[in-house]
Amino acid sequence: MMHKPWFKIFIWFISTVFFLSASFCLIAELGPNVSEQQSMAYMSGMMNAMHNSLMGLSMSIENDSYLKKLISEVSAITLPLIFIGFAAGMLTRVFKRSRNNG
Amino acid sequence: MKVRFDFIVHWLWTIVFSILTISGLAMVGPRYGWIMNYDIASADFAHRVLAAVFVVLTFIAVGYEIIRVIKSDDKYLAWQVIGRSGYQLFTFITTLIFIITGAIIWVCMDTNMAATSFALYLHEKLTYIVLASLIWHIYMKCHALLWPKKPEKKSKALNESR
Repeated sequence: MMHKPWFKIFIWFISTVFFLSASFCLIAELGPNVSEQQSMAYMSGMMNAMHNSLMGLSMSIENDSYLKKLISEVSAITLPLIFIGFAAGMLTRVFKRSRNNG
Repeated sequence: MKVRFDFIVHWLWTIVFSILTISGLAMVGPRYGWIMNYDIASADFAHRVLAAVFVVLTFIAVGYEIIRVIKSDDKYLAWQVIGRSGYQLFTFITTLIFIITGAIIWVCMDTNMAATSFALYLHEKLTYIVLASLIWHIYMKCHALLWPKKPEKKSKALNESR
């Protein structure tokens, strides 16, 4: 896989992303002071996140008892299903292996 | 073509961590907001969703390593992200701190401001340390960036032999 040209391009791409991230940090820390416009843009971005993203959802859960109850009920059904699915997968794997060996 | 399990986990982990880094940096403060054009909502969404994927991948890697320990398998796996020594151990420790502080930020955001602030501080400073370590890691493994050499054609080799 490591000798495939497309994978080499992928490695170059990912490496570039990390070098870019490091340069983002340097530019942000060593750059000029934050202007009022930038502060306002950041604040409005944060406010937007409160309304439209999971950040706001986690805040609204605190005040919404119906949503809290719904989440706890859904979790009560989903978590056992995940564990049952996991156990069934493991059992199938173990039985298949013992059948193949036998 | 047989692709090893630790190889797949390594590169999935890399993709997820690269997006987590960019989306996380965009939320650090007004100095960093320009990274995602101050679109904090998208950064927040991407960071939370991929954080869940990151935790799952980490648990898979930890589980794989635990199974190896139980089987007393001491063979060095070059692509394994988590291990018992060297950079793999460093990744294991930093990942656990990332997950714990991230969970504190997510859970305590509305209830415990002191815990959230402390976790945010740790989460942010650790990002810079891990980012620097990643640059070092890429430098140490830079042979992976070398383009594969083309195999010489058979006919050319035959002509030369004549």
